[in-house]
Amino acid sequence: MEKAHISRSQKLAGDRQIRRQTAGFGNPARANCDLPRIGVFVCHCGNNIGGVVRVPEVVEYARTLPDVAYAEDNMYSCSEEGLSSIKESIVRHKLNRVIVASCTPRTHEPLFKRACEEAGLNKYLFEFVNIREHCSWIHMHAPDEATEKAKALVRMGVAKARYLEPQEEFQSDVYPAALVIGGGVAGMTAALNLANQGFVVHLVEREAELGGLLRGVNKVFPTYEDAGEFLAPLIQQVENHPRITTYLRSEVESVEGFIGHFQVRVTNGHREAEFEVGTVIVATGAQEFKPYGYYGYPMLPNVVTPLELEEMLKKGFEFPRNVVMINCVGARIAERPYCGRFCCTAALKNAVLIKERDPRAKVYILQRDVMAYGEHIERHYRRAMELGVRFIRYSLDRPPEVVGVRQAREVKVFHQLIGKELTLPADLVVLVTPLVPQPDSEKLSRMLKVPRGSEGFFLEAHLKLRPIEFATDGIYLCGSARYPSNIIESVSQAYAASAKAATPMRQGFVQVEAITAFSDEHLCTGCGTCVLVCPFSAIELRVGENGQKSWVNATQCKGCGSCVAACPNGAMQQRGFTDRQVLSMVEALVSS
Amino acid sequence: MKRKKAVLVIGAGIAGIQASIDLANMGFRVHLVERTPSIGGRMAQLDKTFPTNDCSICILAPKMIECAGHENVNLLTYSEVLEVKGQAGDFRVKVLKKPRYVDVDKCTGCGECVEKCPRRVPNEFNVGLDKRKAIYLPFPQAVPRKMTIDEENCLYLTAREKGRCRLCEQACQAGAIDFEQKEETVTLRVGAIVLATGFDPYDPTPLKEYGYGQLANVITGLEYERLISASGPTGGELRRPSDGKVPDTLAFIQCVGSRDVHHNLYCSSVCCMHATKEAILANEHYPNLKTFIFYTDVRAVGKRFQEYITRARQEYGVAYVRGRPGKITENPETGNPIVWYDETVLTEAEDPVRRATSMEVGLVVLCQALIPHSSHREIAEKLGLKLDEAGFVDIPDRLSHPVDTNVPGVFACGFCQTPQDIPDSVIQASGVAARVAELLSGSL
Amino acid sequence: MEKSADGFKPKILAFCCNWCSYAGADLAGVSRLQMPSDFRVIRVMCSARVSPEWVIKALAGGVDGVMVLGCHIGDCHYISGNHRAKKRFALLKEMLGYLGINPARLYVDWVSASEGARFQQIVTEFVETVKELGPHHGPEG
Repeated sequence: MEKAHISRSQKLAGDRQIRRQTAGFGNPARANCDLPRIGVFVCHCGNNIGGVVRVPEVVEYARTLPDVAYAEDNMYSCSEEGLSSIKESIVRHKLNRVIVASCTPRTHEPLFKRACEEAGLNKYLFEFVNIREHCSWIHMHAPDEATEKAKALVRMGVAKARYLEPQEEFQSDVYPAALVIGGGVAGMTAALNLANQGFVVHLVEREAELGGLLRGVNKVFPTYEDAGEFLAPLIQQVENHPRITTYLRSEVESVEGFIGHFQVRVTNGHREAEFEVGTVIVATGAQEFKPYGYYGYPMLPNVVTPLELEEMLKKGFEFPRNVVMINCVGARIAERPYCGRFCCTAALKNAVLIKERDPRAKVYILQRDVMAYGEHIERHYRRAMELGVRFIRYSLDRPPEVVGVRQAREVKVFHQLIGKELTLPADLVVLVTPLVPQPDSEKLSRMLKVPRGSEGFFLEAHLKLRPIEFATDGIYLCGSARYPSNIIESVSQAYAASAKAATPMRQGFVQVEAITAFSDEHLCTGCGTCVLVCPFSAIELRVGENGQKSWVNATQCKGCGSCVAACPNGAMQQRGFTDRQVLSMVEALVSS
Repeated sequence: MKRKKAVLVIGAGIAGIQASIDLANMGFRVHLVERTPSIGGRMAQLDKTFPTNDCSICILAPKMIECAGHENVNLLTYSEVLEVKGQAGDFRVKVLKKPRYVDVDKCTGCGECVEKCPRRVPNEFNVGLDKRKAIYLPFPQAVPRKMTIDEENCLYLTAREKGRCRLCEQACQAGAIDFEQKEETVTLRVGAIVLATGFDPYDPTPLKEYGYGQLANVITGLEYERLISASGPTGGELRRPSDGKVPDTLAFIQCVGSRDVHHNLYCSSVCCMHATKEAILANEHYPNLKTFIFYTDVRAVGKRFQEYITRARQEYGVAYVRGRPGKITENPETGNPIVWYDETVLTEAEDPVRRATSMEVGLVVLCQALIPHSSHREIAEKLGLKLDEAGFVDIPDRLSHPVDTNVPGVFACGFCQTPQDIPDSVIQASGVAARVAELLSGSL
Repeated sequence: MEKSADGFKPKILAFCCNWCSYAGADLAGVSRLQMPSDFRVIRVMCSARVSPEWVIKALAGGVDGVMVLGCHIGDCHYISGNHRAKKRFALLKEMLGYLGINPARLYVDWVSASEGARFQQIVTEFVETVKELGPHHGPEG
């Protein structure tokens, strides 16, 4: 088992974390835990519950339960009328626990919690019992059984309510500065947007200049403007922005802490800089796959990669007469199953460029599906065809052959759509390869404690609905560090990452729903099981007076409860779902 | 001029919802206008989403609830934008709140009224495959969970005769039916506007060669999606239209109306993955079903997409046939469609003439093009937005400002500006939030 | 083991996770899918929260059957919670035999938020199973 690393900065940050915000208006201290006075409100929901469950009988039953100080039925608990009645009852009967037995908590829980708050009761002293979706609606033809079930569910709710405790929602403040790792187009866009919103940004770039991969590109798609001219205004804005500090030739050495308080150390080899930020954006990009061993690369001097072609085009060399581009080299193969996404686009871009400059040039693109997705790339594909670029479909199990001794002279390819092997003259062969992860992405992933996917690119929280965030709060992801992306997509992602990072910084704090885990250090043996089990890296071991104990960072904790069930000593509990609370529900079920 | 810290979002599909959540979290007041009675958009109509095969509504519903429940979001469903005046920082927008004839403060969404309503009309949510009532909830997880009376089909409202129907009113315990409800116009002042109106499926009827509308067992991708959905008209059973039988072979035709000089020139971007997903779902439900996907290029460019295609091929036995079918006919005895196509990929060729061949299948699914939503042009005109040839919102400086339209202060995200999938739409939606924040923070 | 007596009303406990199975149960309700009333749901945030201790205490205390329903593998709202639950309960099932409890009284499965019908089916089947197993009087030697 690894020894968990505890840092001085984390400890400081943890202490500073706790600026409590009491949740509740009026008198928030209405939580006499010694003597629960439970109020039970059973809803008819018109006919929906009342038409099956004998609601008045359930109310009568509730009154017989110990610690229930008051019970009533409402036609519609969620209506203005129902809510008023609940609030008045809380005050009049000095209730310190409230149960509403009605529909599903997934819709109305916030409503009732707010009502409790308005009546001066801490909103965590509220419990919801579902007797509609889980009872009256599914036992419509068994009113006796449904009524008994409703009573049992209320009894279980009351049992839990006895053990509910007031909670204060932690507010952890957020330092209004961001770290952006990577100064390519994505990193610069995010940095600029955040700075324009008013935040301080530290932009760290490994190379001597800003610009990333685009520095090696000739013209950008789809406008065909010069990449350098495209980058220049962006670089200038970044360098001149009063709120952006750029660190060139620098690398991030360590990042400790959590959302709101990351302590960062950056080095350029001679000097170190230390600063604090509230959020981090990973925009480290990717690198081109060099196809060593494929098709005579690198021995044959006229077999080149896309970036090498860009270099040639930038230098303005004389265009070759016969160009053969082989797509999907090193991509969509067993060892590297993914598609490079924009390599087809770049190939089309240059194919069109070459043909427009010299219509007599012969340009062949050997492909295994042309990924000209969407509107604009598809249009460009058609343009390429109109200009006479020849597309030849080949298969992975019968790849082309580059022929030539001291340099490539021809390319043999089996044309799938005509069923013939062709021999194409070639003055230049371009091996269109995908982007692959940066060599230091593993190091960064460990430093930030963020995961990478099986292909090696960083892994976001959810592929569909949380593509720009990591599961760890406060760290965001954009550009080709996430997955090969073209300029437009990288810029969109950078804006998205900026929005995500700006949110906690604008608020100034992150508020945590009080269903987090907490550890009792008297029971904790410091075994560290919880640390390993937590999907969000929210637990650490800290050495205190009584030895090594687990400590839950309530800001990172998402309230899943994995650690609680894993704890061998019962030291770990989850607010709102403690063992005592749940077991009392189990007991209530068993008793009759 | 003081910039208004409020934003109007038009369209509450996943892009509109995400933009609203992000903007609301950033402290802006958001007015989210949605034409239909519920938020959720197209994603609510999907069964699963590629490449994770997540249940679509399961991942969408929490976002819907978060959005609707957010204290900074003012939800205006069943509403439309009438007029926009002003400029970035201070737009004055008139929004029409259409009458639902249901008092949303009283309605509990219990559904008693729906039970009693006698009037059945084609159900748009299920793409016309079944019927809904004149008073309805668009889908079970609708947000807000409030009923709406379709005034064009309601027996009472179309006749306005005393004593005509009004059964819903009788059934409603909460007294929520209000036939006297009037439309309402509200004026909003916002600093920025976000367009997120999404897409419509392209009607493949004009492609006569495919027989949609003529041949019973030729259906569209969206119709298939509803059939295979557990919450759809057949409870997830793939019963073909002609005889209700489950087919033993299934053919998907890609690029129907896309990449087509006679219809839409562009690539709709998501259909290759969509068909693959549908083929996988078919095989999950019916392991012996044979599925074929007729494609031109398999465009699987996103994260984990290529692996998804490989999985479809290897684990589920989905067969990818390269070729765009020329026509579809029918076997009159069985009702089986017959797909006529060229075997364009040849392994060995002694004869370079392509082999023309046909395949009889149980059901054909046309993966139709996806076009900008029908409400799009009208809204664009009201906003002064330029559209490109295909009808998508034109983005003048796409490279540096991929979500900025030609009108300062008006942004566009999601399918309405370019064909793209859910993650890319969600990304753009968040991107819009960043641009709005930049704009309304004072410095741009 | 007693045969299922007429009128045996089993006590069944179902732990459902907030994001998937509880929502699936809600959908079953919204869709008015009828099912036997013998089960009671306890909501947790994640199936990973369900302590094996709860299951043992429930079964030892007189509950006739326990269900643990989480999200489908890969869909867990907390990423890996259901993986943990799966492993834990696979182990627990084996242990139940040693404790003299019929492992068939513990049912672990995955129900998504859109699978109302599946929830109905699972519950109906498990109630039947427990009815056949008969009342649980404690460890069965």
